[in-house]
Amino acid sequence: MTDLSVEAVGLTKYFEAYKAVDHVSLQVPAGSIYGVLGPNGAGKTTSLRMMLGIIDPDEGTSRLLGGHKPQSVRHRIGYLPEERGLYPGMKAREAIAFMGALRGLDWSEGRRRAATFMTELGLERVIDEKIRKMSKGMAQMIQLIGSIVHAPDLIVLDEPFSGLDPVNQERLEMLVRRERDRGATILFSTHVMAHAERLCDRLAIIARSQRRFEGTVDEARALLPMQVRYTPRSEAGRDAVAALLPAGAELRGEAWHFAIEDGDVEPLLSRITTSHLGVTGLSISRPALHDAFVHIVRQVDASFDADAAGDIGGIDGETGA
Amino acid sequence: MNAFIKNMLVVARRDFLAIVATPTFLLFLLAPLFMVGMGLVGGMGASQLADSARGAGRIVAVADAANVEALRAADTRLRTAMPREPALLELRVASPANRDSLAIAREKGSDTYAVLSGPLASPRIVEREPGSSSGRYLALLAGEVLRARAAGPLPPVTPTYENLSSGGTSIAAQQSLGFGAVFAIFLLTLLLAGQTVSSLAEEKGNKVIEILAAAVPLESVFLGKLLGFLGVAVLFIAFWMVMAVGGGLVAMTQMDPAAIAAAGGASKAAATLTAAPAVGWPFFLGIGFAYFVMSFLLLGAVFLGVGAQAATVREIQMLSLPITIFQVGMFSLCAASASAPGSNLATFAQIFPFSSPLAMAARAATDDSIGVHLAALGWQAIWVALVIFLSVRLFRAGVLSGRSDWRFWRRAGRAAAAAAQATSLDRH
Repeated sequence: MTDLSVEAVGLTKYFEAYKAVDHVSLQVPAGSIYGVLGPNGAGKTTSLRMMLGIIDPDEGTSRLLGGHKPQSVRHRIGYLPEERGLYPGMKAREAIAFMGALRGLDWSEGRRRAATFMTELGLERVIDEKIRKMSKGMAQMIQLIGSIVHAPDLIVLDEPFSGLDPVNQERLEMLVRRERDRGATILFSTHVMAHAERLCDRLAIIARSQRRFEGTVDEARALLPMQVRYTPRSEAGRDAVAALLPAGAELRGEAWHFAIEDGDVEPLLSRITTSHLGVTGLSISRPALHDAFVHIVRQVDASFDADAAGDIGGIDGETGA
Repeated sequence: MNAFIKNMLVVARRDFLAIVATPTFLLFLLAPLFMVGMGLVGGMGASQLADSARGAGRIVAVADAANVEALRAADTRLRTAMPREPALLELRVASPANRDSLAIAREKGSDTYAVLSGPLASPRIVEREPGSSSGRYLALLAGEVLRARAAGPLPPVTPTYENLSSGGTSIAAQQSLGFGAVFAIFLLTLLLAGQTVSSLAEEKGNKVIEILAAAVPLESVFLGKLLGFLGVAVLFIAFWMVMAVGGGLVAMTQMDPAAIAAAGGASKAAATLTAAPAVGWPFFLGIGFAYFVMSFLLLGAVFLGVGAQAATVREIQMLSLPITIFQVGMFSLCAASASAPGSNLATFAQIFPFSSPLAMAARAATDDSIGVHLAALGWQAIWVALVIFLSVRLFRAGVLSGRSDWRFWRRAGRAAAAAAQATSLDRH
């Protein structure tokens, strides 16, 4: 037994000649919320499908929930596919109970839990409504409930936030945290960084079929230098201020903008306070996950543009494995 | 309960209810009524056409006044004994107006098949077709009149008819029963097995298939679908069995047994209805149902396996067509074998897996051996398992395009190409 809910090693998939996933490995700790981020077409969905055993990898292996083959622990997994699918003629409660029954949950218990979940999420008025009469977002919430109704140990959500309005996105975030608190591991893919930043304990970034980063949100943000915005009090000349600041500092209006590494923060503050320039405004902030993501993806794209046929390797120590 | 079976039953339950719990199922259930209705309407039309055609046709005898009544009496005696009833006889007294036989034959308003004129000993017969039965019948009438006159009055013949009650059902009636079994199984199988593909198309269309594939083994999905639709088929058959048995009971309480017996002897169709298959009705119905199940599983598995390769409804229709044509071919083979029991053709049809259920059902109508059916069921079960195994492989390869190609040689080729490409890139 290991404390990993997902242990994927070297997953590779070809679609004809196209290499959709190239030796992607992931280790998802049990009880964590893990995000798989990447631009459209990066290979996130294919990777998730291979991890779950829905499609066979051409290379690599996947073990779930303590080293089991995916097929042997299906009943302990909840899965929301990217392409949402429900039977239009089914009533909401029945659809949820059906998905639970597929994972071994008793039909009557599935119906009972469906009603409870729907009530908690403010969907009680559509409990006996047919799916075809529901909005897309509402049907998506039904499917989401269906994927967790059997209280799975591992919940895999492929782009769960797409198509949801802000209120339902908030509900979904609440649901994800609650499932994690229950003890489940949540693995989800997204290309919306805000959700990942708020939810993820760890994340991986996949671009151009390979894993390009793996770590915490803070580690991802630390890939980029701190962003500083400084407005001096004194009316000293532009050249005097520029001499105090790192190379590349840029004056926009009255404020100077520049980037510094973690270790340069204190020396900078010391220089400013000992100078006669004074401070009207000063902000030092970590870049958002969004910036780190864009930085990584652009760097990968640039490498591809430079040498489309070459192996571009990893970013900041990542090997792409 | 085993998880595999449980998963299969969940899928089967969903498919069964999705079909049965809809208003359109009522239409489906009553479809045979529409078919019978259309058949009756068509039959009545054809019968009316035949009647009107028969009414419009005639044969004409132009004879001396002294012979007219004798000809009429001879026609009355002989007409009913003919295997095929001759056209209406029109008698005309010879006169100058009726002298031209050709003109009579060409008179408008009716089809005249033959015209007799002249002395009865050497009549002149003008006929539409050379050597026609109408011409021969008119000659026979003339001969009969002359023979009756020559022999003088004869005592009336008073025959005693006896029924061959101990002879059992005729071979022809049993063959008709066999054909009926072949037709019924073929029709039901084609009607119901094809629906599995529609269900799969629906799931591919609304993307449910990925949820199913993630949650349960595809084999469960596959067998669950077959089971669900088999349930629909059983419901369909049970409904019509109940209707038929109920209708039969009502008819028996309402009708005079003598009338039923008389009806049995009246026509070939009625004789078939009152006939018994060689193995007896209970076994015949039971084994017929078993063969239907085998036929359904075989064809349903093929439909699912091939249908899974299609991405759109149009493609499903295109792919289903060859299977349907193949099944029609099996029907023709079995229909031919039903009319030639014991022939090499029949033996081939009974052994060939896809025609075996139908051909063996036909055999049960004419051959009273029982053990051969158990052997046939075993043989068919092997093929059902084989077809299901292969169809599941096809299903897995086709239902999710990401599945590895079932054609292992192509998979190996692609892997080699990928390795070669990787080597080339490394060098680059």
